[in-house]
Amino acid sequence: MTPFELLEPRTLREAAALLASGDATVRPFAGGTAVMLMMKMGVLRPTRLVSLRAVEKQYSGIGAGADGALRIGAMATLSALERSPVIRNEAPVIARTLRTLSNVRVRNVATVGGHLAHADPHMDLPPVLIALGASVTTVDAAGGRTIPLEKLYSGYLETSLGRGELIAEVSVPRQAPRRAAYLKCTTRSADDWPALGVAVVLDTLRETEGAAVREARIVISAATDTPTRLAKAEAVLRGARVDDAVLQRAGDAAASEASVIGDAHGSAAYKRELLRVYLARAVRAALAGEG
Amino acid sequence: MSTVQRTIRFTLNGEAVAADVPTHWNVVELLQNRFGLFGARESCGQGLCGCCTVLVNGNAVSGCLYLAAFVHGAEVTTIEHGAAGRELDAVQQAFIEAGAFQCGFCTPGFVLMTRQLLDEKPDPTEDDIRHYLSGNLCRCAAYPEIVAAVKLAAQKRRAGQGR
Ligand SMILES: Cc1cc2nc3c(=O)[nH]c(=O)nc-3n(C[C@H](O)[C@H](O)[C@H](O)COP(=O)(O)OP(=O)(O)OC[C@H]3O[C@@H](n4cnc5c(N)ncnc54)[C@H](O)[C@@H]3O)c2cc1C
Ligand code: FES
Ligand code: FES
Repeated sequence: MTPFELLEPRTLREAAALLASGDATVRPFAGGTAVMLMMKMGVLRPTRLVSLRAVEKQYSGIGAGADGALRIGAMATLSALERSPVIRNEAPVIARTLRTLSNVRVRNVATVGGHLAHADPHMDLPPVLIALGASVTTVDAAGGRTIPLEKLYSGYLETSLGRGELIAEVSVPRQAPRRAAYLKCTTRSADDWPALGVAVVLDTLRETEGAAVREARIVISAATDTPTRLAKAEAVLRGARVDDAVLQRAGDAAASEASVIGDAHGSAAYKRELLRVYLARAVRAALAGEG
Repeated sequence: MSTVQRTIRFTLNGEAVAADVPTHWNVVELLQNRFGLFGARESCGQGLCGCCTVLVNGNAVSGCLYLAAFVHGAEVTTIEHGAAGRELDAVQQAFIEAGAFQCGFCTPGFVLMTRQLLDEKPDPTEDDIRHYLSGNLCRCAAYPEIVAAVKLAAQKRRAGQGR
């Protein structure tokens, strides 16, 4: 790694101001797990790193509002999220996802804000949080704004965040009474980057009311450039009672609507086939409450 | 002092220390170049293998991905902690008895991670063990013996044998 200047502002607003010039060699640094890798590979040679570690403690908090919506500070670590009783109760799919997200040491250091800002489509929480309907609140010189997470990603490693705009907080509607699951398919080892990730959140009528799906949100990752919602597959599930035929149609819709791309983890054709299989599995896992 | 170099003060294995470090050094470079400690070693350099494991304020981190500048004010514990003149702890003893290594390159990381696991879960299931240690790689592939060692260490700890 090459030398750089290391700044540690005490407020998030100050940090945003230090980044406002838009100089690409000045970068925010949260947990640094992704930034360190990019520096080691030589794809990032910053002149200056603006560390967010010393900003206000409020940005590390995890809590639930009166409506049960979760508020997660951008500087909360993935371990803190994994261990949070609030997360376990209000959005168990997040806690389950974290168990196989990277490893203990990375989770101890990586932050939610860095995780969401990195925009590598292979990452696990973006599809899950988009399926739950999350949004991020940002801070910049002009104040800040709220962006639906679905709108944050604009391309491979690209977000719609402006110069000097930092993620401050993530707001996630509580999971219950919806049922959710996230499944990923890794083609080499269990903790490898996935070839495909599928997050499903279903709002279902009760058994006595016919158990039909009222609302479905389906988001895939790793097989597309950005985490992608599958509107056609969602439409197939909406109003339907889930059975093999419905799942087959949903899988076909998903495979035809998604712009699947191949990579080292699998060809596009293979991933399209995986999508058919994993979509059905994820829906079943959500209904069984085991995803 | 230039902005690309700074003096950090921290606690290293229970002792107050200070060091001058370039801001782009990681914790492995700090420990090896300033303190002659080689228990944490860089292998993959990418957070995957756990050979560089150290504890910062009681949390396991990959030293290869952690900037040295950020241990300022923190408590750092390495595998060398308490090594001089002390008996082996339950985890180390269990690794020997189970034959959980060949070359031993990965062992400091596995021992530190196993201590963390047993602090959190004194009686882990095989699934717990495999998940917790999924970020530690052993190129000699002593995995079956390592899993056995963790179970043995848990037993020893519960029986009050060793720290
Ligand atoms: C060994 C290893 C295995 C991994 N396995 C997985 C896996 O299985 N699944 C998975 O999902 N991920 C995995 N990851 C990726 C990991 O989740 C990310 O590296 C991590 O979440 C990034 O968080 P961070 O705080 O360390 O980010 P940083 O490295 O600090 O930052 C990442 C990016 O976000 C920017 N940034 C940071 N904070 C903010 C903010 N508040 N606002 C705006 N921009 C910001 C930085 O400038 C940088 O561009 C793995 C990483 C490693 C090292
Ligand atoms: S060298 Fe740090 S995890 Fe492999
Ligand atoms: S014992 Fe040789 S790498 Fe594990």
